[in-house]
Amino acid sequence: MYKLTGVNKIYRKGRQAVPAVRDLDLVIEDGEWLAVQGRTGHGKTTLLQILGGLDRPTSGIVEFDGQDLAQLREAQVTRLRAVSIGFIFQTFNLVPTLSAAENVEAALIPLHPGLAERRRRVTAALESVGLGDRARHLPSELSGGQQQRVAIARALVKEPKVLLADEPTGNLDEGTRDELIDLLEQLWRGLGLTLVLVTHDSSLARRAQRVGVMSKGRLTIRPDARRTAEPQTAPAPGPA
Amino acid sequence: MFFVTYLRRELRRRMRQAIFIALGLAVGVGLVVTVIATSNGVKKAQSAVLQGLYGVGTDVTVTGAAPGPPKTGSKPPKNSQTFQISPNGAQICSNGHCHNAAGQKVDNLGSQYAPINASSVANVARLHGVTAAAGGLALNDTQISIPKNFGQAGSPLPQPNSFTVDGADIGHPLLGPLSSGTITSGHSFTKAESDSDVAVVDSGYAKASKLKVGSTVTIDKVKFTVIGIVSQPQSGSPPDIYIPLARAQAIGSGPGGSLKGKVNTIYVTAASASDIPAVQKEISKLLPGTTVTTASSLASQVTGSLSSTAKLANELGKWLSILVLIAAFAVASLLTMAAVSRRVRDFGTLKALGWRSRRIMAQVMGESVVLGIIGGAVGVGLGLAGAALITRFASKLSATIPTASGLHFQSVGPGGSQSSSPTAEHNLLVPLHASVTLDVIALAVLLAVAGGVLAGIFGSWRIGRLRPADALRRVE
Repeated sequence: MYKLTGVNKIYRKGRQAVPAVRDLDLVIEDGEWLAVQGRTGHGKTTLLQILGGLDRPTSGIVEFDGQDLAQLREAQVTRLRAVSIGFIFQTFNLVPTLSAAENVEAALIPLHPGLAERRRRVTAALESVGLGDRARHLPSELSGGQQQRVAIARALVKEPKVLLADEPTGNLDEGTRDELIDLLEQLWRGLGLTLVLVTHDSSLARRAQRVGVMSKGRLTIRPDARRTAEPQTAPAPGPA
Repeated sequence: MFFVTYLRRELRRRMRQAIFIALGLAVGVGLVVTVIATSNGVKKAQSAVLQGLYGVGTDVTVTGAAPGPPKTGSKPPKNSQTFQISPNGAQICSNGHCHNAAGQKVDNLGSQYAPINASSVANVARLHGVTAAAGGLALNDTQISIPKNFGQAGSPLPQPNSFTVDGADIGHPLLGPLSSGTITSGHSFTKAESDSDVAVVDSGYAKASKLKVGSTVTIDKVKFTVIGIVSQPQSGSPPDIYIPLARAQAIGSGPGGSLKGKVNTIYVTAASASDIPAVQKEISKLLPGTTVTTASSLASQVTGSLSSTAKLANELGKWLSILVLIAAFAVASLLTMAAVSRRVRDFGTLKALGWRSRRIMAQVMGESVVLGIIGGAVGVGLGLAGAALITRFASKLSATIPTASGLHFQSVGPGGSQSSSPTAEHNLLVPLHASVTLDVIALAVLLAVAGGVLAGIFGSWRIGRLRPADALRRVE
């Protein structure tokens, strides 16, 4: 799915250069669940944004299904995100004026399916996260856990190849966090997604097939990470 | 439809701001509508004044030059009557012969303008671009009764009584001041009466002078029978009495003496509005020394509050409207940009979902255009209300039209003689009806939508440059 070679991302603040990602090489196989751990400010989110085409590396190659994201035009990257990449954010990022169903529908707008098709897929997505009866609720009428479920439904409604989750349980209480991660794991297994999950929570990270640690912009795959999660449909992951 | 749902919800979310933007546009547009309506009303009032002067259907008027005040000590024109006041009393003189005027009644039907040969009317009618031409005589009848003891100590000064007389071309009933009137009693002139001592009287003058059909009026010592009463448009400045042109030519006098075979005004109808400037030019070449005017140039001769209101509406009103509109556009743009700034996270998320920048920009533009349409609708309402208030409460406008009396006065005394040809003025009160037409409404809505589009452009400009990572990083 992904092959990153010599990726660097440097942010410039006046004369100061802040390296967020340094000399990163990474391969993520199809259907793999990779967790990326690390302390705040060490480049986890930046890596996720590069994987999602939300940001471009300063140098290096970011291959996604054989295409170098860094070389594509903005419109092409946008199209790729619309079709193949789903996002889940720490703060849910639901549009506050749209209902749960409409937020999920927003992800289908760039794909231009017909109205009936849109409605069918939105209903199915909400039901897959257990919120079929909350379709008309606004985000302000949902709990944090429910909002994140809507966000998951939104990410999955377009049947993406890869799901990028940035601290999806960061704003949730412990009980809700466990429920949510169970849901994510269940969906990952059932759909054969490639899942990259950024978290600072070790207990969550351990549930992935592979764990990488970002430290000052450098990624190190932990050789001792427990691979407790085995996807039903994805191929067996390679060594870390 | 998702676009409409999202648009509606967003406007509702920032309802106060949306109302503020729409109201700002409404005020700007409303002011434009009111000013244009007032300007239209003033133009209509001006046009009605001019129509009353020259009649409906007249595009160009040709008049002989108005005689200026004669030079002091100059000789009066041949066959004209002069009235002299000296220490020896009052005298009436004609062609060098004078007699005592005490106890006399002076009655002079004089031309307001220098005469033009009546044959010129046919020459004008033959010009390219001219549909019809008719001649007329715009005259003033001045009557002065001189007391028997005039000139003696304590004797009162004689007070002139004057009224306007129009010599109407009966062969062209659709041209000239009579053409815009409606006969309310009796009948208008027939061809058989073209050389008869008959008169049609203006309804206002008839009421003031207690005249009706069958009454007699004396014009230059000739008795005319009233055959009809005519009512002219309220805002017009119609002549008091109309008589057949041939009779006016026979009894009137002007600079140079008799008016036989003369006219002093030619009324011209052009084939189309676009022909008017060329026709005006051709007539000026054909009849040098005459004054050739169109409706727009005549308007500049009208003074009084009508003309100052016209200036106010056209100049101050226009610039004030433009300034208010610019302010409304600026406020709408700034508020839209502020609203977009507050939604950066939403837009960043939509971009992350795969929305193209132009789709998001279309959403913002749609919200702004809707506010523009709402502002336009409210603005039209405000404009209509403003126009109605102006029509209801504005005082009538005064219009003053200077005319020449055609009378020549001369006073003789130890210090020498002084001459004057007094001018008369027509003062009219003209109601102001501020009217809103469909094209003004369309302009108002267009302006408001333009304001909305402009605000949308400024607001959505940022979206095109927005990088999703930057937008999302703000929150995290």
